[in-house]
Amino acid sequence: MAQSNPPFMSGVPELLLLRLLDQNEMYGYELVRSIRAATGEAISLGEGVIYPVLHSLERNGSLKSKRKAVSGRTRVYYSLTKKGRQRLGKLRDDWRRIQGGIANALEVPSHA
Amino acid sequence: MHELDLSRLQNELLRSGVAPRHVRRTVDELSDHYEDLVEQGLSEGLDSRSARSGAMTSLGEFEDIARAVRAQPELRSWAFRFPRVAAVVYPLTCAVLLPAAPVFIGAAHANHLARWALCLFLSAVVTAAMFLMLQMAITLT
Repeated sequence: MAQSNPPFMSGVPELLLLRLLDQNEMYGYELVRSIRAATGEAISLGEGVIYPVLHSLERNGSLKSKRKAVSGRTRVYYSLTKKGRQRLGKLRDDWRRIQGGIANALEVPSHA
Repeated sequence: MHELDLSRLQNELLRSGVAPRHVRRTVDELSDHYEDLVEQGLSEGLDSRSARSGAMTSLGEFEDIARAVRAQPELRSWAFRFPRVAAVVYPLTCAVLLPAAPVFIGAAHANHLARWALCLFLSAVVTAAMFLMLQMAITLT
């Protein structure tokens, strides 16, 4: 089983969920599979923890959900709203800024 | 044991003030997710017991899920988010609704209430008549 990485996970599930839902509407199980595929299994979550994040994003208007009957089972599909796209843009900018900062810090030779 | 039992998680979330509709929805979606994981395990050739065990592991510890839900304050019921408002609104609501409750209930069961009142009235008349007869008997003897 892939190792989970909780200390660095703050805000990451939100960013990934918004990014993946920007492409297609998906339900929870499908989203977890897509996160694994998109990150090359570098990020592994306890799969159940995505639901509170999804519900919270829906509550703040970044996502909307609808129920669909598929193969005799009702699934909740999530999709991005306009507000969600704006939130994704902001999170992506934040992430790139932090990523760039950390990359710079790693390249600077350490002082004795 | 490899059967999914979400009742403990459900109770834990309700106790920590998560709104019942969010609890219900979380439990429903986790249950569906678990079934998907089991189906996946079976399709990969696992036996039922291993598929269920693997599904439980993939879903994650209930404590972690509960912590993730609690970390989202907007999923809490409003009484937990605004306890001071709730401390005023709940007693006021009770003060209005409790005295009005018999009226509402009476209106909803008017037929039964009318029958019951008629019976009560008739039994009062019969009792009064018996007392009257008793009183007359005492007076006349």
